[in-house]
Amino acid sequence: MSGGSPASGPRWLAALRRRYTSDLHDTRSAAWLGIALGVAFGVCFATGVWSHLAQHPPGWFTYPARPAGLYRITQGAHVITGTAAIPLLLAKLWVVHPHLLAWPPARSLLHGVERLALLPLVGGALFLLLSGTANVARWYPWSFFFPRAHFWAAWITIGALIVHVGAKAAATRDALRRGTARRADPGSAPSPASAASGSPPDPVAPASPLPADRRAFLGGVAAASAALVVATAGGTVSPLGRLSVLAQRRPGVGPQGLPVNKTAAAARVLAPARDPAYRLAIEGAVARPVALSLSDLQALPQREATLPIACVEGWSASARWRGVPVRDLLALAGAGPRAEVTVESLQPSGLYRSSTLNPGQTADADTLLALALGGEPLHIDHGYPARLVGPNRPGVSQTKWVHRLVVR
Amino acid sequence: MTAGDGLPATTSRRGLLVGLAVGLPVIAFGVRGALVDGSRTHPGELARWIVGAAVVNDLVLVPVVLAAGWLGRRLVPGDLWPSVRAGLVTTGVLALVGWPFVRGYGADPRNPSLLPRSYGAGLAAAIAVVWVVVVALSLARRARERHRHDPPTHDRGVRGGSKGCH
Repeated sequence: MSGGSPASGPRWLAALRRRYTSDLHDTRSAAWLGIALGVAFGVCFATGVWSHLAQHPPGWFTYPARPAGLYRITQGAHVITGTAAIPLLLAKLWVVHPHLLAWPPARSLLHGVERLALLPLVGGALFLLLSGTANVARWYPWSFFFPRAHFWAAWITIGALIVHVGAKAAATRDALRRGTARRADPGSAPSPASAASGSPPDPVAPASPLPADRRAFLGGVAAASAALVVATAGGTVSPLGRLSVLAQRRPGVGPQGLPVNKTAAAARVLAPARDPAYRLAIEGAVARPVALSLSDLQALPQREATLPIACVEGWSASARWRGVPVRDLLALAGAGPRAEVTVESLQPSGLYRSSTLNPGQTADADTLLALALGGEPLHIDHGYPARLVGPNRPGVSQTKWVHRLVVR
Repeated sequence: MTAGDGLPATTSRRGLLVGLAVGLPVIAFGVRGALVDGSRTHPGELARWIVGAAVVNDLVLVPVVLAAGWLGRRLVPGDLWPSVRAGLVTTGVLALVGWPFVRGYGADPRNPSLLPRSYGAGLAAAIAVVWVVVVALSLARRARERHRHDPPTHDRGVRGGSKGCH
């Protein structure tokens, strides 16, 4: 928000400013929506950085193996919160739109800097919600790599949000503390001091809107958020599955009742995955490299675990997996259970053709080289002959069509 | 307004300075990251999307919403406007979010578990439910108003029919 005397500037601009006749373009509406957006973007940023750390852990950070369902919750919260923020952001930008016409554009260097910082805030916030939603719909009307663009744009946006919160925190607190609202038309807002001391309101500001209308307005925006969440969240909150008419996934739909992100055909592994000469190689820093056929793997002691596949795109689904604990496989090769392991797929290319298990994840008994799903051999789209599945991992790190474990 | 600093009444000078001290390095970190990772972020195109999103919102989307609000307030009885407005907002965001699903931009014929629904029919059904709720709320409101204007025993006086509108 920024100010400017309503009388200043070109006449057409002043005339345009008078067209904003709704009393809802005020500081109280802006304050309520601003707080809600601050919470929403805070949740999205924290869960987004968490997801980034899960996929690209820096040296100082050890991503935990437990609790098993944590990533499905953080990433579900990321997508649901971002979706819920869409009506909040659009409503907020509608409320403060009159300030766009403030004149002069900058009344001082500091004022200019404050307004300039609104561009990365507004553009960045819109871009994050737009690109996130498009990614969930698998729509990529751009050439950049979505996760990286979304990630760095988030830092830019959060930086601009910090500037904005710093500038507006006091006014927000002030606007919510007072029982009645006042209009925040450019330049028409009385100073907090005059409002607190009970001096007469600014003559330019019309009567405060009835609280009932703001309640109805904010209630309508909240209803739109709720409707969007119901319409989209069913891919991870399965009781909503039937109602979520705009969800990317439907619980239970997919081979063996589980959705698929990348098919075997798309990954170009149909032939090598079905090759009878398939061997799982365990190599690297091991006492004795081992190569195991599928029947060798099936002959080893099996373990069952119910673990979710939790996609970065927000959907998740639990399934019953059976296979050989990775730590048992390492023991066969004479490696200790607490090792860092690179898990490689038969996929000839692609960013997600391999993933890394940190020592804590390798040591977890439920980190499996799974051979079966729901009691049947894996469907080829779920990673036949063998796939990695472990607790608390992003779906893209649950590597499918595994043919090599390299101990580091 | 603090004299001389040119800041609006709703901006705290100290808060802004603290915000700049903390926020600018964060912005710089993001810009640097996007540039260093430029082969994947395509910084020029990313910047066009960020600026373009703000421009399209401010010059197209908000003016369209303002015009719809102006028109709606003239066409819809004042007491019903809040629920109709909520219905319009909900319809709008459902349509915006649903658009790429309905168009099926991301559909992959080799992966039937991806985008498995009839999104056009689903979106239409969702919007229909929204308007059933709007009509129900409007009828309930009118019934309440009638009850209020027609007190059975004593006259509570005339009250404005349109409460909390405009």
